[in-house]
Amino acid sequence: MCKDSFDKFCWALLAVALSVLVAVLVLNGGRDNKSGSGPNKALEREMAYYARVELINKLYGPVDKLRSAGSNQEALLKLDELNRKYPGEAHGHILQGLILQNLGAPDEAIASFVEGIRLNGDYVDDKSPLSRRREIQRLVDTSAKDITARIAANPGNRTLAGQLQKINYLKSRLAGGCE
Amino acid sequence: MTRSIEFWTTIATALLLGTLGVLLSVWGNPENSGICVSCFIENSAGALGLHDNTNMQYLRPELIGFVLGSTASAIAFRDFQSRGGSAPLSRLFLGIFLIFGCAVFIGCPIKLFLRLSAGDLTAVAGVAGLLAGVWMGLKGLARGVELVRQDRGNANGGHLMPILFVLLLVFLITRPGFLLFSAKGGGAQYAPWLLALGAGVGLGALAQRTRFCITGSIRNTFLMGLRVPAIWGLLAFIAAAAVANLATGRFNLGLYGQPGAHLEYVWSFLGMGLVGWISVLIGGCPFRQLIKAGEGDADAGLVVIGMFIGGALSQSWGIAATAAGVPLYGKVAILLGFASVACGSLVCRDRT
Repeated sequence: MCKDSFDKFCWALLAVALSVLVAVLVLNGGRDNKSGSGPNKALEREMAYYARVELINKLYGPVDKLRSAGSNQEALLKLDELNRKYPGEAHGHILQGLILQNLGAPDEAIASFVEGIRLNGDYVDDKSPLSRRREIQRLVDTSAKDITARIAANPGNRTLAGQLQKINYLKSRLAGGCE
Repeated sequence: MTRSIEFWTTIATALLLGTLGVLLSVWGNPENSGICVSCFIENSAGALGLHDNTNMQYLRPELIGFVLGSTASAIAFRDFQSRGGSAPLSRLFLGIFLIFGCAVFIGCPIKLFLRLSAGDLTAVAGVAGLLAGVWMGLKGLARGVELVRQDRGNANGGHLMPILFVLLLVFLITRPGFLLFSAKGGGAQYAPWLLALGAGVGLGALAQRTRFCITGSIRNTFLMGLRVPAIWGLLAFIAAAAVANLATGRFNLGLYGQPGAHLEYVWSFLGMGLVGWISVLIGGCPFRQLIKAGEGDADAGLVVIGMFIGGALSQSWGIAATAAGVPLYGKVAILLGFASVACGSLVCRDRT
């Protein structure tokens, strides 16, 4: 592949272009994008995510405090107010689920968790700072046992069948997978 | 048949594919997704900034390994041959729809059988769909539906895909700032990269030698019955995966609570049906397209580019199914896919 002057020109151009490329990369190696001089999207994205988590914690902080103090009814009222203000935010549904669980309403808690996780799967992801995986897993484990007995006692009950569907959805999300 | 080297190399490839398919999950990949070409492509498209689902961004070393392992094997055995020119744009679009089909089912044909071997009974609808799709594709071939023949020669650019994947390998090692990596979700679950790359290279090289392909195995069985090694390979793959799942405590028989699965059986059937049909038309499943792209097939390279576009669009346009079910756009994509394949079959049919 080196028959005439044009071939030689192409080979020379290839050699020069590759040499300059290597030189540019080597000379700028110490000033890589990772140090912040370039488009480090990953860092920007992580900062935005943590800012969002902070904001959520700040917005829903009062509800969490009331819940921790055992004032579940007041917490629900406050949460209702926040849910009307931010209807697409999953955190409200998750907190509602936790409060309803405390109040001994597992079916309603499951429904709230399903709504929250459909909006944002971070709540069942161990690696997310928003994760409530352990609490959700515990509720799903107890509800799964309970629902089987209830369905056996009331065959054909559509409400219970719907509840089983919700539990199965949460089980599937907790099992993991690529999504 | 059992005396031929081809038979035993196919069996060895299939056993390795099944075992590594499970072990890669044990080593860190998502559940039932130890090897899933469509998931890996969606992840890698995200890592390259082609979509913005922050849970699905990771440059999968296995994908790079498949292509480069195939290239290395093809060069070593003097099989590397630049070829192409067979309906390139059609193949690009078919590559896009191939991934749409996988995204609606949640997994490629390899993952389909990995899910089944882990006890996920929802995958049965996908198996039925894949069989039906391959059968439809064969019916088309028998009636003259064929993409035009390939040319041979360097001008086809068959060496470009291996070069592109070498570049991706450089990206994986140097991790430039524009590459995106998930901190949570499926994209944040991965096996150690050297292990994943090694598994990919090994499987890529073996698959290049044996031409092992999931849809190809089914196609050949429909054509020639049990006389072909490929079907025994497919059965060995399923058996190896089932044994590995049982041995690692990952076997969970049932319809409900399965990882990365939904209960919309009709759409699972149709998604895999589309994948089966397209795979027959373009000569192999998504895995086989990567292997062919590695050995100099520029047409398969265009399918791979199409698969990357499809992977990006599946995430950006909300086509990909989740445990919650198949979204509206996923259903639309499948129906458009079938419409396109039907139109293509009418147009490309040789009626002479």
